[in-house]
Amino acid sequence: MAEATATFDVRRQGSACVVDIHGDVTAGSEEVLMRAYADAGDARAIVLNFTGMSYMNSGGIGLLVTLLVRANRRSQRLLAFGLSDHYRQIFELTRLDEAVGIHESEAAALADVSGATVTRHG
Amino acid sequence: MTTLTGSLRRRFLGRPTVAARAQAAVRRPELAEDPAPINIAPNDPLLAYLQSARGPVDVQALQLDSPALAALKAADVKLAVPLVSQGELIGVLNLGPRRSEQEYSTDDRKLLDNLAAQAAPALRVGQLVRQQEAEARTRERFEQELEVARLIQQNFLPKQLPELTGWHMAAYYRPAREVGGDFYDVIPLPDDQVAFVIGDVTDKGVPAALVMAATRSALRAFAPRLIEPGAVLERANEHLCPDMPEKMFVTCFYGVLEPATGRFRFANAGHDVPYVKTADGAVELRARGMPLGLMAGMSYEQREMVLAHGDSVLLHSDGVVEAHDPQRRMFGFPRLKEAVATYPGGADVIDLVLTDLLAHTGPGVEQEDDITMVTIQRAPGSTSRLLLDFELPSVEGNERAALDRVGAAVATLLPEARLDRLKTAVGEATMNAMEHGNSYRADVPVCVRVLTEPEAVHVQISDRGRPPSGGPTETPDLEAKLAGLQRPRGWGLFLIKNMVDESREFTEGDLHTLELSMRLGAADDEHPGGTHDD
Repeated sequence: MAEATATFDVRRQGSACVVDIHGDVTAGSEEVLMRAYADAGDARAIVLNFTGMSYMNSGGIGLLVTLLVRANRRSQRLLAFGLSDHYRQIFELTRLDEAVGIHESEAAALADVSGATVTRHG
Repeated sequence: MTTLTGSLRRRFLGRPTVAARAQAAVRRPELAEDPAPINIAPNDPLLAYLQSARGPVDVQALQLDSPALAALKAADVKLAVPLVSQGELIGVLNLGPRRSEQEYSTDDRKLLDNLAAQAAPALRVGQLVRQQEAEARTRERFEQELEVARLIQQNFLPKQLPELTGWHMAAYYRPAREVGGDFYDVIPLPDDQVAFVIGDVTDKGVPAALVMAATRSALRAFAPRLIEPGAVLERANEHLCPDMPEKMFVTCFYGVLEPATGRFRFANAGHDVPYVKTADGAVELRARGMPLGLMAGMSYEQREMVLAHGDSVLLHSDGVVEAHDPQRRMFGFPRLKEAVATYPGGADVIDLVLTDLLAHTGPGVEQEDDITMVTIQRAPGSTSRLLLDFELPSVEGNERAALDRVGAAVATLLPEARLDRLKTAVGEATMNAMEHGNSYRADVPVCVRVLTEPEAVHVQISDRGRPPSGGPTETPDLEAKLAGLQRPRGWGLFLIKNMVDESREFTEGDLHTLELSMRLGAADDEHPGGTHDD
């Protein structure tokens, strides 16, 4: 098993859970990411904060797909903010941007969750 | 040593059901007349034994309750070489004692095995065609023989040329209607060396094709062991001489290339002198030597030259220079030499010479002889500069170091967004090399090289794995993954392909390399593979 190179800290924000990501997201991050997801419990939405992410490889993208599958099963929405232009491009290329709501900021993402002003980018 | 004799050929070519009525003939060199053939009954256990034998059979040592075996032993046959094609025993090559009275060596047996493996399909074709001949008119028979010769000949020509980094090779072969005996071959040798052969058998049709096959087999047998062109031709000549049909011989040029250095050693058994296009004009590759199969005891002069970047060798057969125009004037050596000096090298010179030949002979004229041309061109000197060269142990996570080091080295060459794309591709390619190429064996490193040219930057990532099978790879599809129809992972190759301007794979020795290229001077917003959905 590859060593985890990222941390995923979970914060409750109303009906959503924000996951603050730090470090390198690779296949080795699976266990810690899924633990974070379990911590999020029955939140209506999971909001991924990529602001502190330094690197993500194809294994990391595979993890996001796994997360999406699980969230879909539990009818939870997956949102994201803080993506750099490069990773936003990768989200477009892989069409993850069609399945994950991409936002400029945490406030915009949470507003989307609560049904307030919805700002979609990408 | 007795090999396929006229007697044997007559007996086996005409019998399509040899498995049931196999016959063998033994011919001792000192005997003036053909010995009586040995009949093998359909139920003789020797047939089943030979059918399943692997390689030459020691007749004298074999113990079977077989009348045919007893007859062979009585005829002093030492070795019986089964000729098996598509699982069917189609003949047996019986050999008496060696002239030298020594035992057959391991090399002899290997050579016979090789010869049998190559001769059997050719004989099979011959058998089938001869069967049809009995019912066909003379003209049809003639045409079919030609077809056989074509089949045999084309069967023994390389199906494809090897790919050598830094070299371009091209070959052209067009038989005349009455097939001649042209052939060429490319033989991989130890230490990444490659042998190039071009030859021409006198005579035409099936006899020429069979001698061509025998010559090719001999060269292929001796080349990997003897390597040196002079020695290979000398040994092949000794091998071919005893059994060469009357008035037949083989001209043959044999060269050994060291791709890394351009060193080219060669010897020539009376073949048309090849030309090399160099910066100083056309150079002749001259070396003295008699054609193969004419006279035993010949030695062959060996010479060498170093092919510089841009040099191009043209090997050719006499069908080129001896092509006549309507006034019966030959195309000639001077004109071909001039063409080599003037025209670009590689495949281009073949196309241009063919155009010249057509203009020379006139349109619609039947080709007089086989035409064969092979070019070996060293790529022009590279203008690339090595910027970075390092190795990483194949340990999970080390791709991060690769992309960071490459990124730092080319940071000033690429705009930020393109730099990020290259780094992502380098990370993915390094992971693939460590995981799939080197199986994450820490002691097998991944090599990373960064080269710059005026127009582009190239990152080469090499592993010691086998190149990919080339089969179709699954294109990742998010919807399929979300529906559980594809696994969540499997984005690596997709990312690599879409992140860089160009990627290509090549293999040198046991080193498999993926080269990622980014053009320099491209705008930051240039998007190699992705799409913008605004």
